[in-house]
Amino acid sequence: MAVDYDPALIGRVFEVTDPVEVSAEDIGRFCVAIEETNPLYTDPAAAKKGPHGTIVAPPSYAVTFRNGRHFFTHVPRFGAAGFDAGKDVEFVMPIRPGDKITLSSHVKEIYEKTGRSGSMVFVVVRSTVQNQNREVVAHIDHRFMNRP
Amino acid sequence: MPIMNFDAVKIGDTLGPQEIYLSKDQVRTYARTCGMDVPRFTDDEGARKEGLPGMIAPGNLSLAMLSRLVTDWIGQSGARLARLGTTYRQPVQPDHTITLNGFVTHTEPAEKRVEIDVWIENEDAERLVIGTASIEFP
Repeated sequence: MAVDYDPALIGRVFEVTDPVEVSAEDIGRFCVAIEETNPLYTDPAAAKKGPHGTIVAPPSYAVTFRNGRHFFTHVPRFGAAGFDAGKDVEFVMPIRPGDKITLSSHVKEIYEKTGRSGSMVFVVVRSTVQNQNREVVAHIDHRFMNRP
Repeated sequence: MPIMNFDAVKIGDTLGPQEIYLSKDQVRTYARTCGMDVPRFTDDEGARKEGLPGMIAPGNLSLAMLSRLVTDWIGQSGARLARLGTTYRQPVQPDHTITLNGFVTHTEPAEKRVEIDVWIENEDAERLVIGTASIEFP
């Protein structure tokens, strides 16, 4: 099966999200949700003496920022069933309380694979996560798996 | 716990195993905290309607647990998690015990970089999530 899509969408930024401000309380709630106990992320006094001089978010917080609700008007779907197949995350710098985070996203590649359970189409969306100073916090390659 | 440094890391060193009983409440808490409040992550019945065996954990939660395995290992050494890649091979289901594992596969002295294979397995030792992590030491 040939995968049919508009090649012009590869590499074209389809969305830059509105900034989302991160508070110390947001980071605290995230730490509770993942049962994080590392004092660099949870204890202001200990974090003050650490490498960042303040509490920072655990690295995996970077993947919690969402693309907009019009995501699938820009990202093609192949078939009804779609699943999160995995992520590749490059962590560039930590997210700190007070940061205002935006995502800038484009389709990086689309490819087909045949596995034991049949044909699958993978759509890789690359999101660049930036703070209010336009510093890159992380790059995320998000692989969506579709079954035609 | 002693502070780890790059020279002490050897190929074959292990992270974990960390056994975790993953409760439905923990999965729901993660999903609701992170704006992923959809039936497949919060409700067995809703998940079954989507063709799943029941509630599953978001891939991002698996990524977070593997990230935590690595940052626990790094501890206070000043090293940083520079990259984490994950592949979700099978759904992670709550109300089960899962085990987090890691294994040092490569050390790069020139860059003081360490590569680690990480994975989550179920009670039958099936690898549900696999991944690789790069750690940079100061």
